[in-house]
Amino acid sequence: MKRKKASAVWKAAAVVAAGLFLTGCGSSSTQDGKTVIELVQYKPEAVKAFEAIEARFNETHDDILLKIESPNDAMTILKTRFIKEDAPDIIGIGGDVNYSNFLDSEMLMDISDFDGLASIKQAYLDIDKNLEFVPTEGTYAVPYVANAAGILYNRDMFEENGWEIPETWTEFLELCETIQASGQLPLYFGFKDTWTCLAPWNAICVDLAPADICAQVNRGEATFTEAYREAAEKIYELLQYAQNDPYGYSYNDACTAFARGESAMYVIGSYAVPQILSVNPEMNVDSFVFPASDDPDENQLNSGVDLQFSVMADCENKEAAYEVLRFLLEDESIQAYLDDQNAVPCKEGDFELPSMLDGMKSFIEEGRMADYQDHYYPSEMSVDAIIQTYLMDGDIEAFLTRFDTDWVRYNRDIIRKVQKYQEENGGN
Amino acid sequence: MENQDTKKVSWPITILLILGCVTIFFPLYMAVVIALKQPSEMTNDIMGALALPSSFSLSNFAEAMRVTDFWNSLGNSLIISVAAVGLSVLIHSIAGYAIGRSMADSKAYKFVYLYIVSGMFVPFAILMMPLVKQTSQMGIGNMAGVIILYIVFYMPMNLMLYTGYLKNIPIALEEAARVDGASTWKTYWNILFPIMKPMHATVAVLTVLGTWNDVMTPLVIMSGTGRNTLPLAQLTFQTQFGTNYNLAFASYLLALIPIVIFYLICQKQILNGVVNGAVK
Amino acid sequence: MGKGNDRKRTFLLITIPVVVLFFVFNTLPLIKGFIYSFTNFKGYGSYEWVGLRNYIDLFGDARVGRSYLFTFKYAIVCTIIVNIISLILALGLNGRIKFKSALRGIYFLPNVLGGLVVGYIFSFIFTYILPAVGTAIGSDFLSRNMLSSTSTAWFAIVIVGAWQSVAMNTIIYISGLQTVPEDVYEAGSLDGATGWKKFRHLTFPLIIPFFTINMVLCMKNFLMVFDQIMALTKGGPAQSTESISYLIYQNGMSGGQFGFQSANAVVFFVVIVAVSVFQLSASSKKEEQL
Repeated sequence: MKRKKASAVWKAAAVVAAGLFLTGCGSSSTQDGKTVIELVQYKPEAVKAFEAIEARFNETHDDILLKIESPNDAMTILKTRFIKEDAPDIIGIGGDVNYSNFLDSEMLMDISDFDGLASIKQAYLDIDKNLEFVPTEGTYAVPYVANAAGILYNRDMFEENGWEIPETWTEFLELCETIQASGQLPLYFGFKDTWTCLAPWNAICVDLAPADICAQVNRGEATFTEAYREAAEKIYELLQYAQNDPYGYSYNDACTAFARGESAMYVIGSYAVPQILSVNPEMNVDSFVFPASDDPDENQLNSGVDLQFSVMADCENKEAAYEVLRFLLEDESIQAYLDDQNAVPCKEGDFELPSMLDGMKSFIEEGRMADYQDHYYPSEMSVDAIIQTYLMDGDIEAFLTRFDTDWVRYNRDIIRKVQKYQEENGGN
Repeated sequence: MENQDTKKVSWPITILLILGCVTIFFPLYMAVVIALKQPSEMTNDIMGALALPSSFSLSNFAEAMRVTDFWNSLGNSLIISVAAVGLSVLIHSIAGYAIGRSMADSKAYKFVYLYIVSGMFVPFAILMMPLVKQTSQMGIGNMAGVIILYIVFYMPMNLMLYTGYLKNIPIALEEAARVDGASTWKTYWNILFPIMKPMHATVAVLTVLGTWNDVMTPLVIMSGTGRNTLPLAQLTFQTQFGTNYNLAFASYLLALIPIVIFYLICQKQILNGVVNGAVK
Repeated sequence: MGKGNDRKRTFLLITIPVVVLFFVFNTLPLIKGFIYSFTNFKGYGSYEWVGLRNYIDLFGDARVGRSYLFTFKYAIVCTIIVNIISLILALGLNGRIKFKSALRGIYFLPNVLGGLVVGYIFSFIFTYILPAVGTAIGSDFLSRNMLSSTSTAWFAIVIVGAWQSVAMNTIIYISGLQTVPEDVYEAGSLDGATGWKKFRHLTFPLIIPFFTINMVLCMKNFLMVFDQIMALTKGGPAQSTESISYLIYQNGMSGGQFGFQSANAVVFFVVIVAVSVFQLSASSKKEEQL
């Protein structure tokens, strides 16, 4: 009865060509014997790219029906569906702490035997390995695309004024001074949206702090007070080059202002480019790596896995799921996604990168990159708000102390687990 | 009533109240202006923000209707709200009657009243996850579940409103009917239910406003059913990396129109229905 | 006598299913939530019993403490402002004015808008319009975005919360004022009662049940403030406007603290009930005195 009703709903939905909202009846095959693979991915802005992929897959496959959902607020939906014990077959999420948690809760399938993994760049597989709370045997995700964060700049403004791309922190400060002296605004921040505080923070930290600092702290080998001090000092210095009252403006406001040429640079990730171009389609945007260190060799690109696919542990049709993954990894699928989303592919191969990543290209090719620090922060700790608090009151000691104490408080169970693992495995 | 109004109109109060309307209309004016503009027309200065769009175009509205699958979402919202409000008025009013009339001289009913009313203070967040699991297990992880939940969520407030209102309705009315030999059930439907009409209107308004604009309940309960409500569809615009305010505001205004129509209808009822005679 | 039994039986037959419905969809999940508050449940996956740890943590958690302070400050200020304004408005709108129904219609309008939409519109006004006006008239205070400073952001939320809530409270007050019989006024004016005196001694005592409803509803709604926070500040700046509900949702649902935030919600529930019972008993005492 319920099945019937659900499939009627599905048909109705198909008739209206909704495509993106599907029935979740948990069935694994349709009446005509097709295996159904349900994929939920968390980037609603990429819905069009995924609709195209879904259509193309279903045209070319007679035995598998692929349903892709791109819901808004996907994390809440996914968690809700886990509670309902109605998990999809494949999830597309970011390489962040949610992945760590799902893995830690033993909800993901080991896909070490998936042949497509061989074509993925090792750097991204390593990033995923680092996200494991305790080293876990096997592979649990296929990194799909990465994004990069650093500084976006207005190429036209730079060319008109003859400004050079800085390669060290000192050069960067000089550039800011020069721009400010010319009566223009070097930076624009959208700190009203607290999460944007993480953009400069991540970009600075990859240059100055060890990539695995969070794991080190969990093992009791380091403190944030030491590791983050320089980064904290430097992010604070940026404020003098930004607009007044950066906490009064949102991410959107900052994108709009930057798109209108109100500032020469914008410390944010490549994901902001579509929003900027929607305000000013003719804008000539490029990017460069944040030079937080005075040693150019220490500066790295801030890049992390933006979208990766994991097969859920209770997926009944592993082979069909693999077939979907194989299809997603076809060059044609990837290129279509890149064109739509200005992303960086995780697969080896000759892909055309979006022009706004020109300034970061060499770093990508050389693999000189490190993951976003915030991919390791538990979301309930609200590190973004802690940084915002610090930027507002400027009290660096309080900030660093709070970082260490809050970290222990919010990661208590994980730290216990890590230390137990260390005891059992002779502490490595 | 009518001739009292014309008898002695207080103009200072009228004028003050009219001036006060600016506080209501200004934000709405902003919403309309934003909805009519294109992203490229949005500026960060005051005159630009206040100004009307350079060209009058409803393209945002058309696009918003497409993105939100407007008619289907509207249909679902209507089903949920109409069912929730209709059932709430029926169930809550009679519950208010039974409990309200009994609690004066019964400790048990007083307890039931406090028990249900205290339910209004339960934070939704604590109920959310258990409810998701529970409705799913009961097979009502769908619109029916959302409707039932609304009836339960609004029960405390509506019960309070109905019992509060009943305090002002003399019990003598029912006693007269009882003397005439009518059963309690009949007395209620024939006499009290119609008398409580003004409160029905208020309850309907309050319930529909709460349900119409609610996002969380349908979001978590209906996830995976393929159905969308109008506010749920509004979430389309709240994606972190690309909020298009122009489109979003157009859609918000679209979501607003049905409820404004509903309000206009009910407001008339409130004005005509809430007459002093209700208590006599 | 038989009639009295019919009445009692009917009431019982009505009340029992209603109570069962309420129990299943409100109390039962509440009990389950209460049980979760003794675990380190993330919302999914496996979990362990942690005894009273969540509750002990709760009382030592500075962030939770700040959220209680903020929420109460907000709720009290908002309740007072809203009740004053809506009572005045209700008196005005119930008075002998022209365009009565049109004005009532207009003043109710904010309430039909969803909290998020209102929040977004006001966010726009606070960010662009007010500062521009402030600059134009040379006011230093106004020329900054109210939402960006920890000292003013909470009041901006008060403004938005009040703007929306006044409508509903006004409607409740109006329906209260209309239960005041006309002859009370007539008797009152014979005694020479006018203006404030008339309101204080004649009108107000009669609408006390509605005053009670408004106070309790206001306080409860404002204590649970969520939409406005979500739309206006997301708890910022510097976590200065994190309401309790926001924190519970944010860290319990989106974050992985479901168990801990369940404990927070349990305590929050107890606090709200305590506040409301206090309000109700205080005003019913007042009612008796009058």
